[in-house]
Amino acid sequence: MADAGVKTEIRSSMWNPGGLQSLLTFVILTLTWIVAFSSRLFAVIRFESIIHEFDPWFNYRATHYMVENGFYNFLNWFDDRAWYPLGRIVGGTVYPGLMVTSGTIHWVLSHLNIPVHIRDVCVFLAPIFSGLTALATYFFTKEVWSKGAGLFAACFIAIVPGYISRSVAGSYDNEGIAIFALMFTYYLWIKAVKTGSVFWAVLTALSYFYMVSLSMGGYVFIINLIPLHVFVLLLMGRYSRRIFIAYTSFFIVGLICSMQIPFVGFQPIKTSEHMASAGVFALVIAYSALKYTQSFLSKAEFKYFFLVSAASAAGFIFCTVVGLTWAGYIHPWSGRFYSLWDTGYAKIHIPIIASVSEHQPTTWVSFFFDLHILVCAFPAGVWYCVKEVNDERVFVILYAIFASYFAGVMVRLMLTLTPIVCVLAAIAFSKTFEIYLKDDSPKSSSKEEEEEKKQDNKNDRLYDKPQVAKPKKVKEDRPKDQDSVGMNIKTIIVIALLMMLMLFAVHCTWVTSSAYSSPSIVLASYNHDGSRTILDDFREAYFWLRQNTGDKARVMSWWDYGYQIAGMGNKTTLVDNNTWNNSHIALVGKAMSSNESAAYDIMRALDVDYVLVIFGGVIGYSGDDINKFLWMVRIAEGEHPKDIRESDYFTPQGEFRVDSAGSKTLLNCLMYKLSYYRFGELQLDFRSPPGFDRTRNVEIGNKNFDLTHLEEAYTTEHWLVRIYRVKDMTNRDIVKNQAMPKVKPKKRSKKTGKKKTGSIKHKPVVKKGKKLSKSKN
Amino acid sequence: MAAMWTLLKVFLTVFCLSLIQNSFAVQKNKQDLLTDKVQQMTEWNNKKSVIKFNGDKFKQYVRTAPRNYSVIVMLTALQPKRQCSVCKQANEEYVILANSWRYSQQYSNKLFFAMVDYDDGADVFSQLKTNTAPVFMHFPEKGKTKKGDTLDINRVGFSAEAIAKWVQERTDVQIRIFRPPNYSGTLALALLFALIGGLLYLKRNNLEFIYNKTFWGIGALVIIFAMTSGQMWNHIRGPPVMHKNPQTGQINYIHGSSQGQFVAETYIVFLLNAAVVGGFIMLNEANNIKGDSGKRRIIALVGLGLVAFFFSLLLSVFRSKYQGYPYSFLFK
Repeated sequence: MADAGVKTEIRSSMWNPGGLQSLLTFVILTLTWIVAFSSRLFAVIRFESIIHEFDPWFNYRATHYMVENGFYNFLNWFDDRAWYPLGRIVGGTVYPGLMVTSGTIHWVLSHLNIPVHIRDVCVFLAPIFSGLTALATYFFTKEVWSKGAGLFAACFIAIVPGYISRSVAGSYDNEGIAIFALMFTYYLWIKAVKTGSVFWAVLTALSYFYMVSLSMGGYVFIINLIPLHVFVLLLMGRYSRRIFIAYTSFFIVGLICSMQIPFVGFQPIKTSEHMASAGVFALVIAYSALKYTQSFLSKAEFKYFFLVSAASAAGFIFCTVVGLTWAGYIHPWSGRFYSLWDTGYAKIHIPIIASVSEHQPTTWVSFFFDLHILVCAFPAGVWYCVKEVNDERVFVILYAIFASYFAGVMVRLMLTLTPIVCVLAAIAFSKTFEIYLKDDSPKSSSKEEEEEKKQDNKNDRLYDKPQVAKPKKVKEDRPKDQDSVGMNIKTIIVIALLMMLMLFAVHCTWVTSSAYSSPSIVLASYNHDGSRTILDDFREAYFWLRQNTGDKARVMSWWDYGYQIAGMGNKTTLVDNNTWNNSHIALVGKAMSSNESAAYDIMRALDVDYVLVIFGGVIGYSGDDINKFLWMVRIAEGEHPKDIRESDYFTPQGEFRVDSAGSKTLLNCLMYKLSYYRFGELQLDFRSPPGFDRTRNVEIGNKNFDLTHLEEAYTTEHWLVRIYRVKDMTNRDIVKNQAMPKVKPKKRSKKTGKKKTGSIKHKPVVKKGKKLSKSKN
Repeated sequence: MAAMWTLLKVFLTVFCLSLIQNSFAVQKNKQDLLTDKVQQMTEWNNKKSVIKFNGDKFKQYVRTAPRNYSVIVMLTALQPKRQCSVCKQANEEYVILANSWRYSQQYSNKLFFAMVDYDDGADVFSQLKTNTAPVFMHFPEKGKTKKGDTLDINRVGFSAEAIAKWVQERTDVQIRIFRPPNYSGTLALALLFALIGGLLYLKRNNLEFIYNKTFWGIGALVIIFAMTSGQMWNHIRGPPVMHKNPQTGQINYIHGSSQGQFVAETYIVFLLNAAVVGGFIMLNEANNIKGDSGKRRIIALVGLGLVAFFFSLLLSVFRSKYQGYPYSFLFK
């Protein structure tokens, strides 16, 4: 808000406008950066400097490996601690941009003799980059609209919760940085379209390359939006040589660069996600060829030529695409992208995509929660972009429409919508403030001059906008009330809008502090008197694993915890958050949902030493394994429909319940037993019976059972994590068939060879005492 | 079909043979009865993929003992006077399933699809102690019906795929659903395009509206409003329009939690968003309007009023859904 106040001064400043203006811009952007950085530090201040969530733990582990072993070893890294027994080729299946970024920062700092642990670089990477994002957004908006709007946009993006949700300190993930790369690429693209120079186009391609090295989803968004922009410009008859140069150079350089990432490889020329860009590339070239031939053909000739070439080109392209798809060179859309268009697809075909909460559609509440006033204001920005359209604003409009569609389909794509919402809302606010903040006394700033240059065709603007010195004189003579809406009303409007923006800032801080700043590996609960209890069960359990189990111990858990077990516990996992092998996950799901002996066979087959489950029944933690259990069943059923049936886990009424009315299959499956082992003996308070589950608010149905093939190894303080050891095979049962022939000791003549000592007959035999201890089962 | 006929011939011969034998051997009687029944069922099934039973036939062919085939029975009430609209939908799905089975490769006389209408066999309903419709039941080859032999419609629904999955669970017969392709969507799309094309052609001398920015602007805004008010969520999740409390009869337009929403609610949000944007545009346009300053003032103030009022309304709706949200603007 302070920034908006400062902006007022820009306008009223008369003396030496150029120098002061750039100073103010600089100061505002610096402040924005500081605000962006510090508002993301809630988690670090409240807890400590740790990596959050799940995926960041893998990124951290990979970064750590890279820093320790060097970049080339990292590219060749075969991780035998994940996906046991398959292993994972990390170097070839990872987007290395994130690791290289923080690795570079670490390298530079250590060469400057600033000793920083790589973990701290990782923790603070996203907040630092959020400042860069604000800068990129400023430049983008400046190109599209004006400097004032740019400053607004930078302020918005610095604190908007939709972006903070992915970039708080400690959430060391691609997305926080990808938004910077996204906005920077778009800025360079706009610049390239405006200037039509190869220089900017190549820079766009390089920035695109950085984006590709960061993540999958983001770069596909770019490589489809930019061709769409070009295509729409063609349709609108806005084709120019600038666009031709910008797009062709961007496409070729970008394509070649993107194929340098090992994980991407030949995808850009094979998958359907990239076909649009290639198609537009062909189209642009065909269009310019037509333009060229038009210059020396007569009209009739040209018409004939156009029809023939268009028909043959269309037929040729269609046949090639169909043929190549049929031959298997081009892959159809991958599941995640397909589910964007056909919204019912994922639910039916790929439960593992549907199971992730980030892939759910978005309610209006989450839009409002993440964007607050911006979600109401940004359509006004779209409106003005349409009204005062030019080449680069077409891009903004397309971006806004498509991003809002995608954000509606999937919650996680809110992230791509957020920057453009900030840009457009900034345009709306800045336009309004430009009108109402202006003193009626003739003052002008260079900022408005620029504005005028852009829109000098709008004559009606002369009313409120003094252009330069000359018209000002004229305006001064005018009676004031005819000039504009009047000073008082202007003040009222400005104050009201400022109050709303203030509310926005307060909302952002509240949301950041209450919703987006929990590290999720450390839980905090608040007592009645406001004091805080920290539940550090996850790290307790992972540290126990690290200290007390063998180096090669294999831990089975649901895939959510794979990265954490590998990162914090340093143990081998069976499945993890990189869900590349559905059948392996289904096998773990099957083990969890079978009964103990059936699960034991699977666990023996997979060499499992320990099983780890998350259980929230004691403290009322809702994200535990029992609540996720139905997904395990579903995923297992997808691969093993014979053995696992979802309907078996419901009561006849179709309810999922763990109390005594629950289905027998559920009450005897491995997950149930591991979660509730000895829970029946625990009485949490005097009002509830023993074995009362606080998460589901029921008394559990199966209390007194024993485990045969597993034994409890460790349970954390609040029972949040429970670890079990898989026993070895038991000794064979005592031989029941007594008639089995006893092996007779071979008779040896005692008097052969050199042993010629005699033996005493009927020597008394000393009976040895039996040891009763079971040293080995 | 040829296979069918040979099958039938085999049955006929078996039937004749058994007729001859019938007089000689009393213990063969059972076998004979069975063949008879199977033959009858197959014959019916050749005519119609879903066999219609009345009370007597149901008793004879489904309830009585010698049977070597499973029967899936739908108990329903299709007469218009019963006013069972669900039954009609269920029946359509059921027929799709039965047809898929009837014309599939593994079709055999091990599984039959049948139905009993309430008006033909009310006694069946009382016998099976059901007083709702539609009900899908499975009568296995041997033994009594078990708990799972009634399809739980409330949980899995009655789409052909769901029934097929249940049938597979009960009988180990996998049926691939083949739906007759639905051309209505494609047709509607083609019609729409034809309409637009026709309009463009008719107005080919006056294509000004394509260059009309207001037209495009409104189009873009409508898409954005639709998305930001959660219409896509409605499309995917299919929530009810509103909620009527059965006890008090009170109608709720707003879903109580932040996890869900009603259709009516999203329309309200759509309008609120549109009103705020309208306010912003009025605020900005106030300055461009030619005329006296009084008019401008009024427009500017109305614009501000729209923005402030509807934004705070939106905020209070949000507040009512998001428990523990501390802030409000203008009013609670």
